[in-house]
Amino acid sequence: MSARFGLCSGLLVACSLATEGAHAEPLEPHQPYVQASIGVRVSKVSDEGYDPFASSDELTQVSLGLGSTLLRAQRFSLAATGFWDYGARSSTARGSKTDLDVHRLTIGPEARYHLLPPLYFFVHALPAFAHTSASLEDGVAGVTRYARHWSYGVDAAAGAAFEAYAAQTGAVRPRIWVIAEGGYGYLGSTSLKMQPDSGEGPQRPEPVDLGTLSLSGPYLRVSAAVGF
Amino acid sequence: MRKLAWLVWGALALGCGGRPSSWDTPYTAGSGTTAAAYGLTGSVAVLDTSLKRVSMLSSPSTLELTSHSIGLGTDLVATQVSADRNTLFALSRGVQPQRTPDDERPQLLLLDGSTTPKISKTYTLTEPMEQLVLDPQNEWAVVYGGSGVVVNLNELVLVNLHESGADALSFKTLLSFGGNPRRFTFTAPLAIPGGDPRRFLIVERDSDLVLIDLAAPEREAVTVPLPSTDTGGTASSAQVVYDADSASIAVRVTGTTSVFMLQLAAPASAGQDFSVVTNLVDVGGQATAIDFVHNSQGLRLVALVGRNAVLVDPDTATTQSVQMPAAFSGIRRITSELNPAATPAADGDVALLYGPSITKIAYFNLSGAPGALFRSIEAYDIGVPVKNVIDVPGDRYFDHKILETPNQQFYVLDLRTRESAPMKTNGGLTLEVAPDGQRVWAYNPGQPGFASVDFENLHPVSLIAERQVSNVFDIATADGQRTAVALHLAGGVGIGATALDAFSPSTAYARFYSGLELGGVQ
Repeated sequence: MSARFGLCSGLLVACSLATEGAHAEPLEPHQPYVQASIGVRVSKVSDEGYDPFASSDELTQVSLGLGSTLLRAQRFSLAATGFWDYGARSSTARGSKTDLDVHRLTIGPEARYHLLPPLYFFVHALPAFAHTSASLEDGVAGVTRYARHWSYGVDAAAGAAFEAYAAQTGAVRPRIWVIAEGGYGYLGSTSLKMQPDSGEGPQRPEPVDLGTLSLSGPYLRVSAAVGF
Repeated sequence: MRKLAWLVWGALALGCGGRPSSWDTPYTAGSGTTAAAYGLTGSVAVLDTSLKRVSMLSSPSTLELTSHSIGLGTDLVATQVSADRNTLFALSRGVQPQRTPDDERPQLLLLDGSTTPKISKTYTLTEPMEQLVLDPQNEWAVVYGGSGVVVNLNELVLVNLHESGADALSFKTLLSFGGNPRRFTFTAPLAIPGGDPRRFLIVERDSDLVLIDLAAPEREAVTVPLPSTDTGGTASSAQVVYDADSASIAVRVTGTTSVFMLQLAAPASAGQDFSVVTNLVDVGGQATAIDFVHNSQGLRLVALVGRNAVLVDPDTATTQSVQMPAAFSGIRRITSELNPAATPAADGDVALLYGPSITKIAYFNLSGAPGALFRSIEAYDIGVPVKNVIDVPGDRYFDHKILETPNQQFYVLDLRTRESAPMKTNGGLTLEVAPDGQRVWAYNPGQPGFASVDFENLHPVSLIAERQVSNVFDIATADGQRTAVALHLAGGVGIGATALDAFSPSTAYARFYSGLELGGVQ
């Protein structure tokens, strides 16, 4: 009971400080025109189709982002953001080497609310386009088999960004942000009918059918951004 | 960056899971006591022992293969295909030692090998057994021989395949004079005077025979000691043959010039279902093969002794010797193959004589008068010895035999025309007669080459697969055609196969399958 009371009190104090801060400092410099980020995205992929390519459910990807504030209305702002995430997993499927490369491109609007000038919360729902390249070393056929596909979906997430550093002088004053977000990334399933590249391996090879792969799942992304 | 990745990874780690351990288990082809693959009527069973399962390859249509995995028991010790190739039997020891009531028990699993493979029956055993014997008529199976702290080597578990569950099992301990079971013979129904025809299981042991009445397996088995060798030593049985109509059994015994005859007769005392009358008949030398035949005078036992065929009258024990043109050591009755309507008792039998150390075969026609026996054997020099005679199933070429030689040749013998077609191979030889009886496949395991010989025109079609062939099987497809499956299991890295149209095999149209071991991993 006392803990819950303390938490509520803390939030009220923070809000009041934020309101005072808003009066004390203009918001616009903290609503970056352009923001570039680099970070790490970790997804949990629980689909069975992921099993041949990874001994655990994580998919770690390097994440590059680019955003630009389009509209500003006091504490609210609307930005256009996009991310390119790339990650790979390697494993063995019953002794046969497997690899999975995943590129994911997301782009769309992001709504932001500045609680404090150096702290904003955001939500976004970004259409996603992913390209997966799964490969299997086929020891019997003596060839590498592939399944390469595009899939489509959406990343829905919420997060917060904190301005860790702001340059006080100079014509261009970069600001460094630390951003964390969590959400759910949905992607449609793709076939894992593994075929060798044309001309490779035996004649008329039938595909090795490993089912389907869906990279949908919850994810976290932590990144550092520089904004202007 | 690295710290950042660990931070995010750690946040998700609590909710993250792994994958089934099966993905980390490499494929293992068969085991020491089992073959890697078995051909059935409508599917090919490829054992995947490391995952305790079998991959059943079936063919929905020509050239098309699908894989369906079926779990086998833990610690698989024996697998066999039924004589009609419809069923795969898998004997497993289960979890040993048992630690919880839920631990898997020893079991005998029956898999339907049709175009839609599935488990047809499961028999749970009380103790782990390691040996499996099948009845050619698919009515019984016998499991025996364990590896426990104490093992009763003479305990047999008879499994009545027409029954299910515990009712199917009969436990039989054979009274022993010191021997262990070595070979088993399931007889056809024997016409014992004074009773209904009944089937017997004849168990050959080190120094005796045991007769188990399969009509009443719970009844006490009859143990018949084998005669001594001619030097007074302990003899053992080398071959058991029987004649169903006369309920006669003959045993070729090592170390003696005599043949041991048993006649199952009407009960001699109250409480008996039958009695056994034994006789020892000297055939003048150690026989290399025996069989029952009918000639114009009735039932005779033929014993091949050196260059003589000795005919024994089982009733009187009198013998008649016929000189053979060569020292044949194998005999196979071919009466019904020559004339399915023939009744041997009235018309007399015809037998094929052969041997692994002589280059002749002969037709032994027993339909003539007793005085004409000297001209009853007609020999043909085929230039190569014959180590085995393989039957051709089906009703189209049942009058053909495959003569397997010890070297790289085989013969397709047309019994009616007595013409033989020699087939020479360029490697070792394994033969697989198609279950539809229309062709034979020849291959040399470990080589890419294999061939089909169609019995209609005896035209061999040589084929070179793109990978080494370990087995070739000929299976029915779901749509009534046939697919030939050349398995590629060499190296033990996975299950691969080349599928061909069995009716007109050609590698120009063959399809290559691999990764079949990856299906159904859970």
